Amino acid sequence: MFKEFAKGLSITFKHLLPGHSTTVQYPTVKLKPSDRFRGLHRLVPSQDREKCVACYLCPTVCPAKCITVESAENEKGEKYPKVYTIDLLRCIFCGYCVEACPVEAIEMTGVYEMANYKREDFQFTKQRLLK
Amino acid sequence: MVNLTIDGKQVTVSKTATIYEAAKEAGIHIPVLCYAKKLLPYGACRVCLVEVEQMKGRLIPSCTTPVSEGMVVTTTSDEINKVRKTVLEFLLVNHVVDCPVCDKGGECDLQDLTYEFEVVTNRFEGEKFDLPTDEVNPLIERNMNRCVLCGKCVRVCDEIVGYGSYSFINRGFETKIATAYDRGLNCEFCGQCLSMCPVGALLPRPFKFKARPWQLKEVDSVCGYCGNGCTVTLGVLNKKVETIRFNDKIGVNDGNLCIRGRFGYSYVNHEDRLTMPLVRKDGELVETDWDEALQVVADGLSKAQKGLGVGIISGARLTNEELFVLKKVARTLGTENLDHSGGECYKSVTEGLKETLGVAASTATFPQIEKADVVLAIRSDFYETHPVVGMVVNQAIRRNGAKLLVIADKRGKLDKLPGARTLLSKPGLELDVLNAMAKVLIDEGLAQTEGIEGLAELKTALTDFDPAQVAERSGVDFELLQTAARQLAGAKNVAILMAYGLPYQGFNKELATAAANLALLAGIPGRAGSGLYLCGEKANSQGAIDLGILPQGNGLGAQLMLSAAAEGKLDALYVVAEDPLSSYPDRDKVAKSLEKVPFLVVQDLFLSPTAQQADVVLPAASFAEKDGTFTNAERRIQRVRQGIPTPGKARTDGAIFAAVAGKLGNSLSFTGPAAIFAEIGKEVPAYAEFDFNEIGPQGVVWGGETLQPVSHKVVNAGAGKTVEADFKLVTGSALYHSGTVSTRAKGPIAVLPEPYVELSREDAKGLKVVDGDLVKVNGNGVELQLKVKVGNRLPKGVLFVPYHFAEAQVNRLYKGEAVIAVKVSK
Repeated sequence: MFKEFAKGLSITFKHLLPGHSTTVQYPTVKLKPSDRFRGLHRLVPSQDREKCVACYLCPTVCPAKCITVESAENEKGEKYPKVYTIDLLRCIFCGYCVEACPVEAIEMTGVYEMANYKREDFQFTKQRLLK
Repeated sequence: MVNLTIDGKQVTVSKTATIYEAAKEAGIHIPVLCYAKKLLPYGACRVCLVEVEQMKGRLIPSCTTPVSEGMVVTTTSDEINKVRKTVLEFLLVNHVVDCPVCDKGGECDLQDLTYEFEVVTNRFEGEKFDLPTDEVNPLIERNMNRCVLCGKCVRVCDEIVGYGSYSFINRGFETKIATAYDRGLNCEFCGQCLSMCPVGALLPRPFKFKARPWQLKEVDSVCGYCGNGCTVTLGVLNKKVETIRFNDKIGVNDGNLCIRGRFGYSYVNHEDRLTMPLVRKDGELVETDWDEALQVVADGLSKAQKGLGVGIISGARLTNEELFVLKKVARTLGTENLDHSGGECYKSVTEGLKETLGVAASTATFPQIEKADVVLAIRSDFYETHPVVGMVVNQAIRRNGAKLLVIADKRGKLDKLPGARTLLSKPGLELDVLNAMAKVLIDEGLAQTEGIEGLAELKTALTDFDPAQVAERSGVDFELLQTAARQLAGAKNVAILMAYGLPYQGFNKELATAAANLALLAGIPGRAGSGLYLCGEKANSQGAIDLGILPQGNGLGAQLMLSAAAEGKLDALYVVAEDPLSSYPDRDKVAKSLEKVPFLVVQDLFLSPTAQQADVVLPAASFAEKDGTFTNAERRIQRVRQGIPTPGKARTDGAIFAAVAGKLGNSLSFTGPAAIFAEIGKEVPAYAEFDFNEIGPQGVVWGGETLQPVSHKVVNAGAGKTVEADFKLVTGSALYHSGTVSTRAKGPIAVLPEPYVELSREDAKGLKVVDGDLVKVNGNGVELQLKVKVGNRLPKGVLFVPYHFAEAQVNRLYKGEAVIAVKVSK
């Protein structure tokens, strides 16, 4: 019985040794989330503009109604989003917008550090989302 | 009636129905692409294929196959679905699938069918088209890469509009829809084609990329332009009217609209709309609040009423309820000087028809025109003022073989319709032609004389109108004149059409009297299926007449008020929803009266030239911003609904009137348009039978489908008069505009941006001018400089100037006469 007790404790002590901890010293150490993690959105740029064609599918599908799109016509006669804003305070990170997008113009990144001081800072405009 | 079985269901339908229509009646859904209710069957898309027991071996297109007794139809089976799916795959071979950027996405028939039949892959491959889009015209965007060749646009433009802009060109895979010589579109821009297009090949350019169809809130209302009373469904997004939606389910127009109805809505969103009341202080109009403005109005008006009196001139684009409250304001003030829209222009109805028929309205409804055997249009401009009625005339001709006769001084759109015959007279002599036709009826014993009063006097009066002589002096073909009269008498159903409005004041009453004489002699008024139509220029012209927005007692009419003001015999004018300075005849007189009158209140949407002269300007609401009813030219009372809020501090006219009355000490308290409508019924018996909340989608017609005339009296209409001059000028309405407000709307103004003088090719040659040159038009002691537009419409020596443009100041030259002698020089 003592043998089993020692065996068990040795596992415990092993974990106390340096290099065996699962706790990460955030924020000095940061983990890389999985590729399928649903973090901050990103608008995918193409050569000279955003890939988005302002089809309004993401604001339509969004269950939290946090996406605002306003389409317009650019000099080439193409449809583009004049306004594209996501209100992250309302976003529930469900990823439906990514799923609905017919041109793969929006994706979700691994960025999860989104704390901020002002409400306005949670309005992610097109410029911020394109970064 | 024919009995048949569809999907095991027993159906009984009329023998003219197709399988598709029978199924629809039975509530069975058959998918279609090229079918449209108002068009003739075509069978282009092959999506509606069904199986018929008696015609085994092949599938039958249900939209073109008539029903027959004992037919057994199956509308869905695995085989049918397979074939339909294949048809869709074929269509998708060269359809560019750019749904994300296509404005049709969400209401596209092809998209819906693709979804319904789960066409996720395509077994066939082919080249996608890369045709250039039509970027030339400002209103209709044509992207032929998306076209599925259903031919709806071709058919609607031909069958309904009668213009024929489109046709199929090329063959096989190369087939496409194109205009003549495959150039940019240059047509009436009524937009019927884009309302029909099942895909995104034809789209409204002003609405391009504005919104998705599912985001729009739809509000059914009535168009605020002409008296036809078309239903317009406003597409509202973020408190703004973004587009007019297609709606063929309700209303009188079967989904048809003209350029103003479909593209002329944008003035309601105009940035120049008045948003604050303005009061003149130290010679300048300055913004103020309602309380102050209303106080100034009330003080000014009551002071004037104690002095030489107040005159109230209203427009005819207010709702019935607002006009009623206006009348209350006039009563509170104690003034009898009340009138609407120029005063002279509607005399055709209020005096011409009243004297002869004893009623002041059209005697039948528009759907009856479609069943007419003979249609007589007086003044070819009828199509220009009321395009959608013109489309009904076109259908009468094409569907039912109606004969169209036009009495006019120029050729117009109506003249181009199949089989149309124009009695082309010298301007000002149309009246003589009508009289001569009446004489033909009497002389040849074709006239109905029983129960007609005043026949003997008319006979004496008509001795001066011997058809041969009239033909000679008016230039009308003698035989045609006789044939026309005979056709009129011989036909079962006859429709006589005439429009009235501000630019058509010369011989207005006389023309209507002569038309009524002719109608009475041909037995038209009160006969089911026939009718005499006098159609107002404005959305609620008929309502204004019904409600009696006319001089009360010994009061002055609009023209007399202006004259009195010019002579300093009136102390205040209250002008509502009108711009007399721009649109009334004799601008100099109007200018003088506006200058002379000590106190002028203008209530309008824009700071019009008249409003700029005012002491107080009150910002009002457009048709899209209010609730109420309009009465159209066929006496149909229809609901107007609010789609958007008024801009800034603007208020509806009704609210302003109530507030003015309140300041004057008569607190009119109405809980809303329904209460006012009930109140109207107490004063206007014809309106008493209706309840505001029960006015259905088709509206209600007072006086019944066929209005029985009160009297049958023929009256001497007198003779017309033309002028002897090398150039005779007539004013009128251009197809693309209505009144002056459409010049603030982007659609109409994009097509017709500026005033012009239209002249014939011969005259252009004689004057050595081409399109776009400036000419000087000199008449009535006034010289105007106008751009030339050369056209085929006019006979030699006749000039046409549209009256819509304030900056052209056409009304300096036009003083209400039928025809003006002018000199033209380069």
